[in-house]
Amino acid sequence: MPRKNTALPNHSAAVIVKRPPKAMAMLRERLVEALGSDAVKTAPEDLAVYAFDAYTDGGLPSAVVLPSSTRDVSAIVKIARDCGEPIVARGAGTGLCGGAVPLEGGIVVSFARMNRVIELDERNRRVRVQPGLINLALSREVANLGLFYAPDPSSQQISTIGGNIATNAGGPHCLSYGTTINHVLGLEIVDAVGEVFETSIDAAGYDLTAAFVGSEGTLGIVTSAWVRLMALPESVRVWVAAFDDIESASEAVSAIIAAGILPTALEMMDAVITHAVEAAFHAGYPTDAAAVLLIENAGFHEDVEASESEIHALVSANGARSWRSARTKAERDVLWAGRKSAAGATGRIAPNYYTQDVCVPRSRLPRALHAVGDAARENGITVGNVFHAGDGNLHPLLMYDKRDRKQVAAVIETGNQILQSAIDLGGTISGEHGIGWEKREAMTRVYSTADLAVMARVRDVFDPIRMLNPEKIFPAGARCPEVIPS
Amino acid sequence: MNAVQRREAPSSAQAVAELLASCDRAGEQVQVAGGGTLSGMGYPPERLDVTLSTAALTGIVANERADLVIAAQGGTTIRDIVNLLATQSQFVPFDAPRAQYATVGGTLAAGWLGPRRHRYGRVRDYLIGSTIVLADGTIAKAGGMVVKNVAGYDMSRLYVGSFGTLGVLVQANFKTIPRPPHARLFLAPLPEGTRDRACGQLAALRVAPAAAFWVDGFNAIDGEDGDEGRVVVLLEGSDALLERATLELRSALGRAGVPQTHVIDAGAHEGFERVVDAYIACLGERSVTYRLYPPPDAATGSALRLHEALREFGLRGETIVDVMNGDVVLRVSDLDPHALGAKIEQFDDALHAVEPAAQVVAGEHPNRPYLRVWGVPPASIERMRELKTRFDPNRTLNPGCFIGGI
Ligand SMILES: Cc1cc2nc3c(=O)[nH]c(=O)nc-3n(C[C@H](O)[C@H](O)[C@H](O)COP(=O)(O)OP(=O)(O)OC[C@H]3O[C@@H](n4cnc5c(N)ncnc54)[C@H](O)[C@@H]3O)c2cc1C
Repeated sequence: MPRKNTALPNHSAAVIVKRPPKAMAMLRERLVEALGSDAVKTAPEDLAVYAFDAYTDGGLPSAVVLPSSTRDVSAIVKIARDCGEPIVARGAGTGLCGGAVPLEGGIVVSFARMNRVIELDERNRRVRVQPGLINLALSREVANLGLFYAPDPSSQQISTIGGNIATNAGGPHCLSYGTTINHVLGLEIVDAVGEVFETSIDAAGYDLTAAFVGSEGTLGIVTSAWVRLMALPESVRVWVAAFDDIESASEAVSAIIAAGILPTALEMMDAVITHAVEAAFHAGYPTDAAAVLLIENAGFHEDVEASESEIHALVSANGARSWRSARTKAERDVLWAGRKSAAGATGRIAPNYYTQDVCVPRSRLPRALHAVGDAARENGITVGNVFHAGDGNLHPLLMYDKRDRKQVAAVIETGNQILQSAIDLGGTISGEHGIGWEKREAMTRVYSTADLAVMARVRDVFDPIRMLNPEKIFPAGARCPEVIPS
Repeated sequence: MNAVQRREAPSSAQAVAELLASCDRAGEQVQVAGGGTLSGMGYPPERLDVTLSTAALTGIVANERADLVIAAQGGTTIRDIVNLLATQSQFVPFDAPRAQYATVGGTLAAGWLGPRRHRYGRVRDYLIGSTIVLADGTIAKAGGMVVKNVAGYDMSRLYVGSFGTLGVLVQANFKTIPRPPHARLFLAPLPEGTRDRACGQLAALRVAPAAAFWVDGFNAIDGEDGDEGRVVVLLEGSDALLERATLELRSALGRAGVPQTHVIDAGAHEGFERVVDAYIACLGERSVTYRLYPPPDAATGSALRLHEALREFGLRGETIVDVMNGDVVLRVSDLDPHALGAKIEQFDDALHAVEPAAQVVAGEHPNRPYLRVWGVPPASIERMRELKTRFDPNRTLNPGCFIGGI
């Protein structure tokens, strides 16, 4: 796994919560009584491992628990309520917005032990899983049946289905298959009072599944999920197109979409990234290009074959100077492995990096990338772009050294300018990583007070006392709509 | 009927907001009306003072064809959007019955599920943004015009299927996908002995059809009223793909013992739409139509059992089995509305004992309000009530129309 996407120092809102030792002892005692001592951690050195995600560090939680069942989770919630402790659900901690980070003590519920496939319904292509199951493990488990689980965040080797559901994770192949929400059929939820209920997208009534997917652990805790499996495509092609400048590459992306072609994946990497990837993995990307597009089309032989010349013609018309087709599965796999490990490969450039995540209308991709370049230049920051171009979902990686306070300030400013330029282009402040703690204050830049108050009505139903992942998503003060700055 | 009942057709979000806010304050109850195509769904409102029609809220708000996104006002007809998208080789798989009347807002609010969803996904998954007006007049936006967006809760999807009880959808933004260039429709008789095998074969095709139905009854679909059932299959895709799919389909049906097939190229979609229209085709007061959602591998079995059950009740049953998704549409009728009235409530009980989720989607029989039109409420119903209370505490919008009397 790539190293941590570094915390921006002094950027964390964690408050050091000093709870009376007696209260802590009582909390521990009750948790141990309910779950057994091997499922409860309270020693500071154990807690420290759960104090961060891939975005930032928080404070130490009061306790970490590792439930083995839905009933355990329900018991934890009841104890947390009695003891006045908030709850932060945690998958693999790969989140990029501080979502799984405890900010005011609280109980971290780790799903590391709830990581099994519960029930496979092959004929109807669906499977029920526990939330701690690792994304890629699911696809591996069903591959021999000719099936796969489509959402494929680049973190899929370690991120969990529960975390993916809570963030509505995307990935390269979501261009054609859709993000996590398109693949969740129903959930089992433990609510803020410890009660268990189920949702199903096929049941009559409000689509509670839709409300829970992407709610970042603020509405309830996902204890199992029915998800959809898809048939592995009969034919897969992967191409790499190289460009002399990043503008042409982004023009090519816009042209492919405008022509009404939706390949399975359409990813872009600039030279900063391809150099890092090649140095680390020798994946086969050209290192003399300013930008490359990694394009995949999968489906029926006839269509995949026909699409090659169409896409090739479009990228050539937009200035691609080379075009390569991966000939074997091994070649395809190594290209993808390079792409999915790109962020981790940037360690050679700078000790730390920060990933911004914005999404713009696809025809505005060239302008958005321009704005990224301008912001980085203006602030003296090296930027590497590796992102889901076909969706207009940018991920500028801002390189820095966290020991240098000036660089830290410059990274924050650059990230901020990129966020604003995406908003100005009609885009959004997060395409797939989530709001978490990081972007909660930025919510007011895209939503009015009224818009946010409507979301808060949903939260009021499921967690009126704000004990589930408080301090996330909503700007501070969002409980009383009047005080949200607009 | 209330003497002061009135009908309003506000023409802007602002006007909707003013109307709702004033009704909400005055304690007037409002029914939201789109094209009326799905008026056979849900309970009648408990009380009705104002009908809010979205007929004046029409038109495309934005058509960003190079971005593959489009935004329309809530009262825009599905036909208008589909036709416009077709001119730019795009589509959204609405598959709404009677698309010339069905509105965007109504189709979304009813949570309409079309037969092509197994291939292209649900309409909810194309909805990237929305504007809603709540009962108190709050105008709230969610999402936007980008295809990926995780800023906050997915409110837009939550409104899908909420039946107008949370608010009035005044605008919906969709992502679109490229329209398959060609379509071909297959019709074939499906004699009794071939049904199970044929449906099994269809579901297992390598090149999955865009839609496949086993239709029993509903003579309107291809103009003949034979005793046999019929299979209707829609293929979509490139020329080359259709070629392969056609061969595969022919041999699969042949293996199942289906005698001869009839192929339609020009007008394939019209034929498909006739099946979709039949989902809600009612015989005035002489019929009630249910829709059930068993898993695909249980659908044919469940349709056969339903026919059996209806025979016992002495009622006529017609079914459409959506082979790819597993839904079953069941039209229950009797030539005499009184005879239907005498039996339908017992049948409704018997049906829900085995298919708790069966919903009523069409029918004008006066006993309809006494049926479980939304099926047996799920265990999460109390949470749903709570949600309603947070959004519409005075029960101003479509009071009593939704599941569990929400
Ligand atoms: C190198 C790298 C590449 C990445 N690539 C992508 C990508 O391509 N696409 C993408 O979308 N993201 C990507 N991410 C971000 C991250 O991997 C995703 O957000 C992922 O979904 C988080 O899963 P997790 O198991 O690590 O969850 P965590 O980080 O542990 O938690 C994330 C959020 O989910 C909540 N949560 C976790 N489990 C539950 C549960 N059972 N019930 C309720 N809430 C829960 C947490 O409270 C938190 O708010 C990447 C991250 C890294 C480090």
